[in-house]
Amino acid sequence: MSRYAVNSLLYRLKKDPDFRARFEADARAALTGLDLTDAERAAFVARDMRKINELGGYLHLVMSVPGLAAH
Amino acid sequence: MGKIVFAGAMSHVLDPDYYQRACGDEGRRKTVECMTEIARMGERFTATRPDALIVVADDHLNAFSFNAVPALCVRIGRTVQRMKQDHAEAFDAVLDHMPEEYPLHEDLANQILAKGIDAGFDLAMSWEAPVDHAFLSPVNTMHGARPIPPLVPIWVNSFVAPQPTPKRCFDFGRHIARVVAAGPWKVGIIATGGLSHFPELSLPRVGETDTVFDRKLIHWMEAGEHEPLRNLGVDELHKTGEHEFLNWMVLLGAVTPARARVRYFGELPRINLAAVEWSLS
Repeated sequence: MSRYAVNSLLYRLKKDPDFRARFEADARAALTGLDLTDAERAAFVARDMRKINELGGYLHLVMSVPGLAAH
Repeated sequence: MGKIVFAGAMSHVLDPDYYQRACGDEGRRKTVECMTEIARMGERFTATRPDALIVVADDHLNAFSFNAVPALCVRIGRTVQRMKQDHAEAFDAVLDHMPEEYPLHEDLANQILAKGIDAGFDLAMSWEAPVDHAFLSPVNTMHGARPIPPLVPIWVNSFVAPQPTPKRCFDFGRHIARVVAAGPWKVGIIATGGLSHFPELSLPRVGETDTVFDRKLIHWMEAGEHEPLRNLGVDELHKTGEHEFLNWMVLLGAVTPARARVRYFGELPRINLAAVEWSLS
């Protein structure tokens, strides 16, 4: 479980508009080189915030990333 | 000789629009009712002509993510800025209309920090961390258009395990009381967050609260029975959605054995809103 990788990615998506734009344009490419498990990578590509939370993503981040947040 | 002249604790997403979206008309109505009581608490606080306001709250993975997550952190320096978030959503959006900069009470913050280290509290310090809604929503609701006194923001790590224990938070509050008593200032203290919501920080459980546990906490606070509160476990708070009660524990240590008076308690599906004030002698 790479909890740090999941959460630092969520944090970057929240705080870095340029990275968020790259992710929105091509999620798989934006995640290249990041230390994620296959399940984590798939959850981000699917923008599945419930799964990301289940995989260790902190609730307040999954609820507040602009454009991706679960409510 | 210094004195704690006001103590209050309250929920900290004070945004009728947010709870309208989350809970419908009832959400808006109860949020407005809660905010009305918090504004009245603010009027009573202002009437004490305070020199400073200590705000004990938590960071929602905004200021300290993930270079370091301090268990307890004192904000020092001369001013603090509100968190900035582009395209803010949910609880972040409550900040959008608020002033961007607030004065700090540098002397009081430095004394809480330095004397705390001397007393065995390994406190973190920050000159730069911004404050999010947990600090500014209550502070602005309390003051409306009136001037806000110099703040002393203190963070408690309420969310990222392992958190500090309720007992440790309470003992840190005792330390704050000793610092205030030794100084020349009239000081208010608020703790923010809660009551129960977001149990286990699990997205599928957003929408659940634990009213029975809330009422148990309230009973102990009203009775001034702080020992059972000191003995709460972090796991217990996590399971019941009472993570932010750690902030309240700091306040309880600062005012013990004062008794609480509930100014507002309102059940919503997403959270139980609360505003509580302590009777200080």
